[in-house]
Amino acid sequence: MTPSKDRNYFKQEPRGEITAHSEVATGDPFSPAEAEQVATLEQMPRGTSRYKLYLRRFFRNKLATIGLIILVFLMLAALFGGFFAKWDYTEPDFLALSEPPSPEHWFGTNDTGNDLYAQTIHGLGRSLTIAIVVSLATLVISAFVGSAAALWGGVAEKAVLAVIHFLLSIPTFLLIALVVADSGGDWKLLIVVLIVFGWMYQARVIWSLALTVREQDYVRAAGYMGVSKLRTIVRHVIPNIGSLLIIQFVFGVVGTVGSETALSFLGLGVKLPDVSLGTLLQGGTAAVQSSPWLFYFPAATLTLLTVSMAFIGDGLRDALDPNSNSGGKA
Amino acid sequence: MTSPVLSVKDLRVNFPSEAGSVSAVRGVDFDLYPGRTLGIVGESGSGKSVTSMSIMGLLPDYAKITGSVKFEGRELLGLSDKQMSEIRGNGIGMIFQDPLSALTPVFDIGSQLVEAIQAHRDVGKKQALKEATELLDLVGIPDPHLRLKSFPHEFSGGMRQRVVIAIAIANNPRVLIADEPTTALDVTIQAQILDVIKLAQRETGAATIMITHDMGVVAETADDVMVMYAGRPVERGDVDTIFSQPRMPYTVGLLGSTPRPDVSAEEPLTPIVGSPPVLVDLKQRCQFAPRCPVAQPACSDGEPPLIPLDDTSGHESACLRAPEIRDRKIGGDLMFKPPQLADDVMAGVPRDERPTTLEVRDLRKEFPLTKGALVKRRVGTVKAVDGLTFDIRKGECMAIVGESGCGKTTTLLEVMDLKPEHGAVVLNGKDAAGMSNSERRAARKDIQIVFQDPMSSLNPRLTVREVIAEPLNSLGFDGDVDARINELMGLVGLDSSQLDRFPSHFSGGQRQRIGLARALATNPSVLVLDEPVSALDVSIQAGVINLLEDLKRRLGLSYLFVAHDLSVVRHLSDRLAVMYKGKFVESGPTDEVFENPQADYTKKLLDAIPIPDPEAARRRRDPRPANASPISQK
Amino acid sequence: MTKYLIKKTLGWLLMIFLATNLAYLLAANFLDPRSNYIGRRPPLSAEEINNLLEPYNLSPDTPLVQRWWTWLTNILTKWDWGQSPVGEVVNSEISYRIWVSAQLLLLSTILSILIGVAVGVYTASRQYKTGDRVWQGISIIAMNTHVVVASIAVVWGALKINELTGKKIFYVVGSHSLDVEGFFPKLMDSAQHLVLPTISLVFISYASYHMTQRTLLLDNLDADYVRTARAKGLTRQQAIRKHALRTSIIPVATSVAFSIPGIFTGAVMTERIFGWNGMGQYFIETISKNDVNGAAAVAAFGAAMTAISAVLADVVVVALDPRVRVS
Repeated sequence: MTPSKDRNYFKQEPRGEITAHSEVATGDPFSPAEAEQVATLEQMPRGTSRYKLYLRRFFRNKLATIGLIILVFLMLAALFGGFFAKWDYTEPDFLALSEPPSPEHWFGTNDTGNDLYAQTIHGLGRSLTIAIVVSLATLVISAFVGSAAALWGGVAEKAVLAVIHFLLSIPTFLLIALVVADSGGDWKLLIVVLIVFGWMYQARVIWSLALTVREQDYVRAAGYMGVSKLRTIVRHVIPNIGSLLIIQFVFGVVGTVGSETALSFLGLGVKLPDVSLGTLLQGGTAAVQSSPWLFYFPAATLTLLTVSMAFIGDGLRDALDPNSNSGGKA
Repeated sequence: MTSPVLSVKDLRVNFPSEAGSVSAVRGVDFDLYPGRTLGIVGESGSGKSVTSMSIMGLLPDYAKITGSVKFEGRELLGLSDKQMSEIRGNGIGMIFQDPLSALTPVFDIGSQLVEAIQAHRDVGKKQALKEATELLDLVGIPDPHLRLKSFPHEFSGGMRQRVVIAIAIANNPRVLIADEPTTALDVTIQAQILDVIKLAQRETGAATIMITHDMGVVAETADDVMVMYAGRPVERGDVDTIFSQPRMPYTVGLLGSTPRPDVSAEEPLTPIVGSPPVLVDLKQRCQFAPRCPVAQPACSDGEPPLIPLDDTSGHESACLRAPEIRDRKIGGDLMFKPPQLADDVMAGVPRDERPTTLEVRDLRKEFPLTKGALVKRRVGTVKAVDGLTFDIRKGECMAIVGESGCGKTTTLLEVMDLKPEHGAVVLNGKDAAGMSNSERRAARKDIQIVFQDPMSSLNPRLTVREVIAEPLNSLGFDGDVDARINELMGLVGLDSSQLDRFPSHFSGGQRQRIGLARALATNPSVLVLDEPVSALDVSIQAGVINLLEDLKRRLGLSYLFVAHDLSVVRHLSDRLAVMYKGKFVESGPTDEVFENPQADYTKKLLDAIPIPDPEAARRRRDPRPANASPISQK
Repeated sequence: MTKYLIKKTLGWLLMIFLATNLAYLLAANFLDPRSNYIGRRPPLSAEEINNLLEPYNLSPDTPLVQRWWTWLTNILTKWDWGQSPVGEVVNSEISYRIWVSAQLLLLSTILSILIGVAVGVYTASRQYKTGDRVWQGISIIAMNTHVVVASIAVVWGALKINELTGKKIFYVVGSHSLDVEGFFPKLMDSAQHLVLPTISLVFISYASYHMTQRTLLLDNLDADYVRTARAKGLTRQQAIRKHALRTSIIPVATSVAFSIPGIFTGAVMTERIFGWNGMGQYFIETISKNDVNGAAAVAAFGAAMTAISAVLADVVVVALDPRVRVS
């Protein structure tokens, strides 16, 4: 768009008195999602009822509901499952080496006699902790970087985007591996490194959404009312991309679990004696022929975790973002 | 009379939604005769566009459509998509609202035209291309054989709309449906496009349905008019009757709230209070009754049918009191009473003696045109604003009118930024160029802006209270913020009890009022108005225009008002500047410019405005040679 | 149009350059080549170790800037990627591994795109119907299954098939057999090895194309120009095929570049599981051996794969989008 063009040229000018129902009939054949959004706006102008609507939409999605049940179960297991374990995850049972599942060792033991149940519970907790901390941090970073880039514009925006695109197209996994390889398996360092190399994709998504918020008149008005850019981000931009942030967070956790387990699988992330799902997977893969249970339990836990969260993320997208092509009929 | 080419009976369309079934169209009947133009007029949500889409079979599958649509005697409802595709573009052609997105960006226009031709006729590529060239020539595209290979993005909006028309008439349709064909276009382009549609209609002999919200466009184009409200036709008749003797209060209100470009406005407009109903679970009553100034208890007893009036043939109205309505009056009284405006605090003070609030001298804004991939070379300059000089006095509204790309919005932004690169912006005697950052911040209290789009001007996540408090908190306010907010709500005609609601609760007109309250919060002397009413329906627009007029009188505000709608400008502004390619081609007192335009561009602009009065439109159109303009414009 | 492609290619070359340097500097900082000599019998003094590393341009006594400059000029002038801490020449280590990994990566990328786009188109045209929902579920599972889990599952399935048929249809280890002669037998043998890792990589990466393509196509289904196309007499299906599809593929193609790093990561793990001697395996070796130069070469390879895919995608974009061609 050339700068000299008046922006109203691109709008369909009289969009009309926009009451709740009116968009229903202005020309475009509207999607059911729109119709529903339009119709519900009138009746649900405020807080609580809006959340009820979100809940209803979420639970209408069967996969999302199943995902939520599985995730809650896994979370409870990670938090309280340790209390039921008969062995500590570091404590080997020398009388039971490479034993298949039994009443004593629910998930069996590995070749050094570690109780796989205790290890899986601990590994699940470790993987989840890393993933949640990393995702929260990257979310905050990317929300600020993305919206700041959009709001400041100009050279700053170009520079930030160049960095983001660069980091997105290089094999960052290799760089992460390089940095953590000699660290001795400290999961806190792993968190830092995953944050440093993990914020770009979300920042780009947030940037592109913040761009549309930037074009909103209320952001312009804030500028003319002397509201600082930082305050504008906190007050105007971030609340209006809130639902996206929630969705991004969920998928961020899934992605981080993937990266962490991959690193640990290669022996570069979490290292023994600490365990994560990735280290368990490494052990399981090596012994898949001789002691398959060592593979099945960690693999099943990991898959349940990521897939359930993905279902939840999908359901949240349906529920929170009626403009995505998924609302409506059900 | 001949038999109708298109006959619609009791058409109803429902859309499912979570809140219930939305009844977008609730019983539309009409017959369309060859060579005639039926104007369907109504505001957003009246169901006019859904009606046309259901005739074309373009509504999504989940829409429930009942009734009957007969084209040349054949029932269209219930046909499969395959069967309908043989009628679409062949028997019935359609022109859409937004030409910028109506053409596929990745195909050249030649192939898009050829596709339209070959969809219905078994002609070779060569013959189809030849026909395409002729069509482009007909709709006024210069050098048509060269432009066949061009892509849509190489055309302007007006040119693209010509291509869309060419596609619509490629197979000589019997019916042409134009759905808001000029709404997205500038006024001079609008006049040309309307001429092209007329020409196309003459060439094909098609019956035309002209769907629009613009009373001026209806008056200029239609033979018969159907007024729709809340999904139903509420009045129908020939164009002269509808405009001269409307017999439905809604039509009367609509005409009363439409500003006239051709007469000086002394009287305020008469808005229709309230807003249209939500089309879910409608009560059995006249849907207009809650907004109707002459409603009676009987109006709530059931929906009045559209019935013929005995005294004029073909004139129908859906109003119980239709027989009592004469000359827009009922029992001798005006149905819609013009509101009382506040006394003008600056009344009687001649312009010379009023203080200057905003002065702009030799304002320039240039954008470099660059070329080159890695190293940008400057190959030229776009002079978006090219040496503007004007001043606004206290209590005065100065309007800048012009078409897209003339630089009027850039001018506003330059003024609002208070940091001109070239030229001077002087606010209440203080030159913005010499301001420090904190002075500039302080100066913002004195100049505020109201935006065009009521949807985007308020942050949906803030309550109205927070929205209005924002400038007070940010720019500083000595005094009770809550009291000030209540005062502001009253000033813009809103109820303070709604302060804790979110913007989504409000209609477009109400949102513009909230935006106005926010702009007035710091008690500015200058308000910049960027198309403040152009996104509103006409009945709502009138109320906001009156409010602006009222506030100007009451508070002695100065307005810098930018608009493309000359009728609104004529109604609201005291002085007027016509802008073209970054320059003022003419400026002066509004009535003077309208009555005695000097510059050629101003004349062209004024000549292009559709007048909401069929008789005046005819009077003016006659000397204009038919179809002279479309080809000349590049 | 050629100008556009040249401009893009130059941009990607710059990206490879920067990425490789960044990898080198990180590797030089975080990997310690001396550890290869610690614990030797007889023990070596720090000085002796540094002297041993000196000819490989790895001695910590040399300032990092100088080592970096030597490394860079050797690559740029002699295409010499340096040596490992124990003296293996990186060039010869990677020369055959590159082809092993490249065929795996490119084949899986192309297959992922083809399958993903096809499924996306299929599901978009059946929005909310059974086919759409089933694929949606499959793809969410596929996208979120760990590549290790997927690979093991594939191996298990292949072994079962081998068992059932009693023949060695699939090879679960290595990229080729050593004892095969003749062009066609060799080709056949390669395919038998290639099939399993490709399946696991495609399985984890096709789904993102499915989702993107589906969303974009659905966005385009309601576009004004699709309505125009229907209004001129095309059926809905024709309008979608001719008008919506082409426009919606363009952004999918531009997104290819950003998905390569992910598939590369996947390949590192599949190579490990399937015992392929490719760049992924090599990378793990370089890290465990603190091989700075080797690690930088792997990063260069990863960046180059991204660049090649991105340029190929740009060619597709240019072919599909006249707006790029014309302006």
